[in-house]
Amino acid sequence: MTLLTALARLLVFPGLLFAVPAAWFFLWVERKAVALMQGRVGPPFMQPFWDFVKLLGKQTPPRTGIAGAIMRAWPLLAVSSAAGAVGLLPVLPSSGGFEGDLILLLALLELPSICIIAAGFSSRSIFGEIGSAREAALSVSYNIVFLLAIVSIAASQHTFKLEALAGMHPSFLTVLGIIAILVCLPAKLHINPFSLPNAEQEIYAGPMTEYAGPELAMWELAHGLEWVAGTGLVATLIAPHITAAWLAGGLFVALAFAIVLLLSVLAAATARLAIDSTVRFYWQCTLIFAILAISSAILVRFRS
Amino acid sequence: MNILTMLGQNLRRGYQTLIFPARPRVTTRFRGLVEFDPALCTGCAVCRFRCTSRAIEFKAGKGEFTWSYNPGQCTFCGRCVEGCAEHALKEGRAEHALSQQQDTPPVYLRQGELKKSYTVARRPPAPKPQAPKPAADPAPAHSVTPATLPAVLAASKPQEGAAS
Repeated sequence: MTLLTALARLLVFPGLLFAVPAAWFFLWVERKAVALMQGRVGPPFMQPFWDFVKLLGKQTPPRTGIAGAIMRAWPLLAVSSAAGAVGLLPVLPSSGGFEGDLILLLALLELPSICIIAAGFSSRSIFGEIGSAREAALSVSYNIVFLLAIVSIAASQHTFKLEALAGMHPSFLTVLGIIAILVCLPAKLHINPFSLPNAEQEIYAGPMTEYAGPELAMWELAHGLEWVAGTGLVATLIAPHITAAWLAGGLFVALAFAIVLLLSVLAAATARLAIDSTVRFYWQCTLIFAILAISSAILVRFRS
Repeated sequence: MNILTMLGQNLRRGYQTLIFPARPRVTTRFRGLVEFDPALCTGCAVCRFRCTSRAIEFKAGKGEFTWSYNPGQCTFCGRCVEGCAEHALKEGRAEHALSQQQDTPPVYLRQGELKKSYTVARRPPAPKPQAPKPAADPAPAHSVTPATLPAVLAASKPQEGAAS
């Protein structure tokens, strides 16, 4: 990957220029779909964008010292890491990449979650701390399954390069891995039934309780970019290999859109689970499948 | 799977939210501001007794009484209307926030703005009904007068040792 290609991927497609409007669009799709399924009107098309603009224009309470600087830094770090994760997605055919970029993608996908945990604790709010503790417990629960699923797919394909994984032929093992990733996505995106960290009827906004103005706008943007990165990762894994760039881009958007709709149905159809039920779900029910997937992948690798 | 069926039905039916300026319909059982009819009120103050939110005040004066109602304190439970034997109170349907008769909902700027007071003159007590006069003709033979009652009871009482 040349420097120019890397910059184009990071800044243009599928990076910031595409990812930011896509983040607002996916946020709108999720909110609108859930609203329609609940018999409500839902927000207008431009609502996430206007929310972002409105928040940018608000004043924030002054926070001095190192604590204030740290609080301001977390949302920026979350946005940049989520944008970087989107930029790494191999959407277009032969768009480059490097060996091991899957590891970097996983790290970048995990960073917003860590930022949320740190932000909640650094805000010194009781609701923020509760939200952060829940996020930490949730993160420990679903990440084992998420990582095992991705590693099993990578092990079955003998590579940690995203472009090679995007062009793989579907097999039983990869399908199992993709299903495991899909099961983890609601927890990663904090939607029902795993919306514990930002349980708005219980702990206000959780880790975001003390945030306002441009900082909150950055959190919203980071959340939208997480949607694009999470759904985009699954979309690139299940999309067939297509040589035409425009067709590949269109298919990526369509598949990501379908996954957003699927997650919206799940969010509308379920209620929030308690933390012990969530942890039990991932550690008892899903982990078995993930271990099966990775052990099968390792066996396949030793056989070949 | 019932929930998925419900979601599908919601999608087919469309949204149920009313878009402004549409307003919800007021049902026939809607309990609005309590309306007072001074002509029917006898000043018994049962409504004040039944009002748990103390929205109704009652002051008795000489030859008159003052009945006050503060909707700001009213919880619209309807107990005063239920308890009014003279039907001087009824649940209004026109004067409330959901009224279809006004273009915009009313805006109240100060506390107690909606409070209404009525000073009503006490009505003279109704004349007592006349006691019916005793009939002139003698009582029929089969009727039982109080004077003859003990004798009748004694006659109908079974005698001890009659069966043996």
